[in-house]
Amino acid sequence: MLTIVKLVQSLVKALHSEGTPGQLAAGIALGAILGLTPLVSLHNAILFGLIVILNVSFPGAMLGWAVFIPVGFLLDPLFDHIGHVLLIHTPALTPLWTAMYNMPVVPLTNFNNTVTLGSLVFSAVFFLPLFFTARWAVTRYRATIGERVRQSKWYRALTASKLYNVYRLFRPES
Amino acid sequence: MSVRVFRWRAIGPLLLFALIGAVLWVLFADRIARLSAEKVGTAIVGAKVEIEHLHIDLANGDVTVRGLTVANPHEALKNLFQADELTADLDVLPLLEKKVVIDRLAATGLRFGTPRATDGRVPGDPNASVSGRVMGEARDWAQRFQVPALQLATGKIDVATLDPRRLSAIPAAQALSGRADSSRKAWQTGLDSLRLGAAVDSATATLARLKTARVTDLAALNDARRAIDQLKQARNRVTTLERGVTGGLAALRAGALGLDSAKQRDYAFARGLMKLPSLDAPEIGLALFAPTAVAQFQRALYWTQVAKAHMPPGLQPRADEGPPRRRRSGSTVRFPRERALPGFLLRTAELSFLLDPTAAQPKKYAGRLTGLTSDPAVYGRPTLFEASAPAVTAGAMLDHVHATARDTAGATVQGVTLPPIQLPSLPMTLDPGRGTAQLGFALRGDTIRARWAIRSTQVHWARDSAAPRSTGADLLWRTLSGITDLQVDAGVTGTLSHPRLVVRSNLDDAIAARLRTILGEEAAAAERRLRAEVDRQVDPAIAPVKARVTTLQTDMTKRLADQRARLDKAQKDLEARLRELTRIRLP
Repeated sequence: MLTIVKLVQSLVKALHSEGTPGQLAAGIALGAILGLTPLVSLHNAILFGLIVILNVSFPGAMLGWAVFIPVGFLLDPLFDHIGHVLLIHTPALTPLWTAMYNMPVVPLTNFNNTVTLGSLVFSAVFFLPLFFTARWAVTRYRATIGERVRQSKWYRALTASKLYNVYRLFRPES
Repeated sequence: MSVRVFRWRAIGPLLLFALIGAVLWVLFADRIARLSAEKVGTAIVGAKVEIEHLHIDLANGDVTVRGLTVANPHEALKNLFQADELTADLDVLPLLEKKVVIDRLAATGLRFGTPRATDGRVPGDPNASVSGRVMGEARDWAQRFQVPALQLATGKIDVATLDPRRLSAIPAAQALSGRADSSRKAWQTGLDSLRLGAAVDSATATLARLKTARVTDLAALNDARRAIDQLKQARNRVTTLERGVTGGLAALRAGALGLDSAKQRDYAFARGLMKLPSLDAPEIGLALFAPTAVAQFQRALYWTQVAKAHMPPGLQPRADEGPPRRRRSGSTVRFPRERALPGFLLRTAELSFLLDPTAAQPKKYAGRLTGLTSDPAVYGRPTLFEASAPAVTAGAMLDHVHATARDTAGATVQGVTLPPIQLPSLPMTLDPGRGTAQLGFALRGDTIRARWAIRSTQVHWARDSAAPRSTGADLLWRTLSGITDLQVDAGVTGTLSHPRLVVRSNLDDAIAARLRTILGEEAAAAERRLRAEVDRQVDPAIAPVKARVTTLQTDMTKRLADQRARLDKAQKDLEARLRELTRIRLP
């Protein structure tokens, strides 16, 4: 229950943040990569750093992460299959993998794991469609029911909380 | 309005976050590494690996392990070894490639076979873990050896129940019966298709015409010759059929003789079932010491196969199960490359160990291990182990550099306390005391050659007081309890799928002579009983079949002879009449 409440809270905050629809969509798309790929990987540490440093919506990223974690679990068989095809059943790529495997730092990304590589490739392919879809959806939301939600009592209560102040630290800068 | 790309004020919190991560690493790295090492070690060995303390000093590239205990995967309450301290000189840079390279490792206070309070074995899933799969394969391999039973405890020979389904003569008789039936049907069809009646009838009619014909009646003469040709053709068909029948009958007779051979095999099978002790000395050695010897070979095979699984030959990419996690593990593929660093490499290990640690003054020895690696083809050299001291010689070579793995190991330990040996089916235990143990093991591809031997001059015998007493057991006890020397030699040769085991000991002749005295008469009587039981079950099945084969032979021979006689008579009559008609009568 708490998870669902936090998810809704995150969603509302993200949709009403000061960021542009593009910033919010970029945050969601980057967060989706966090959710789709196995969390404990070097590329996710780099991705987290990018989410913090780049001027994208942090709540949007958290929203994308939260939403796409279960999707990642569901799509694991597909990722495993993609990884198998790329790592094992495509001999043309073997020299590339061999070079990467024997390169400093790169093996720490676990790229040679079928699920990790499959999910990362899927996320990369999925990134732009998700970005544009999310940007269109946020724009539509703000143009239709966004203002009414902003005037509601429970939204004001939410923005008045201390947690909101922490959030403001990472809000997108215009 | 332009949007800035970077959020510079988040740098501070990000650095703080990184700092917290670094502090957590410093605080928990040792613990995480210890737990990981225990987990990986347990998965490799197939038994618990426990570490009391582990410290990583990345700045100096040192790893120190204290209180290492590795349980024995083959014995519940025994450790494989314990070590007081292991100090590893770690190469730090390869860690960036996720590779562990240890330049030098010093292990002190190694003790083998120490007791433990809890069962350290980890029952591995044969489908999920390498150690579980290898353990199952080694167990299956050990069960390939047919060890004869030796039963003396009660002085009686057990005649096990004879299951008719396992006798080979009965299904052979059923099969022969089927063959006889189908042969009979086929030959009957062959006889019917000869159409001899038409040929004989035609010949008879022609003969009747010839009786009233004159020599100038050329049409009748031509008909007679045509009828003779038809008879000859019919006889050829009979000859062809006869040839087939003769061959078929010979096969059926051979089958009937084969039933006797099958019956002999059933006698031998039944003899094995009734646990009849062989009175041959080599068989006795096998019965007494094969389980102990096979257990030694099984362990050696287990370790070589575990090594092969984790040190596979070749440079091809290979996929292993991915790391355990909430998400699907997937497969982790390794891409070894020549002249690169292997995933794991221990260049040199100096081992200091104690033998016979429970003795009042355990002796300290030293050994050396080189080139232990997960990618032998990448490293390009075999793994070597050697340890030598006045009373100990041990060496091993795991050569997985080439496509066909070659593993050899050998050890001789003198003056060590040998474990007691429970002799199967005998109400006594053999305690070899201090003696010499030897083990040699060589596995090249699928070909195995192994030898295990023990020598002792301080043998003690302990009688099992709970076992029922019998005259035979008493006699055997009196014979064996006076023997103080022990020499056992066991060897395995052949392939892993078809291994041959030979076991000899100096006890064999003594026990064989005593067995002849004790069990000779009873064994003969038991064998007679068993042969009678085999006869009772087998004879009702094979006697009718043999009779059918004989009847079929007689019947077919007679029928073919009759047909041939009919044809011969018709032809003879026709030819006689023709000669009579065409004879030139001189005035």
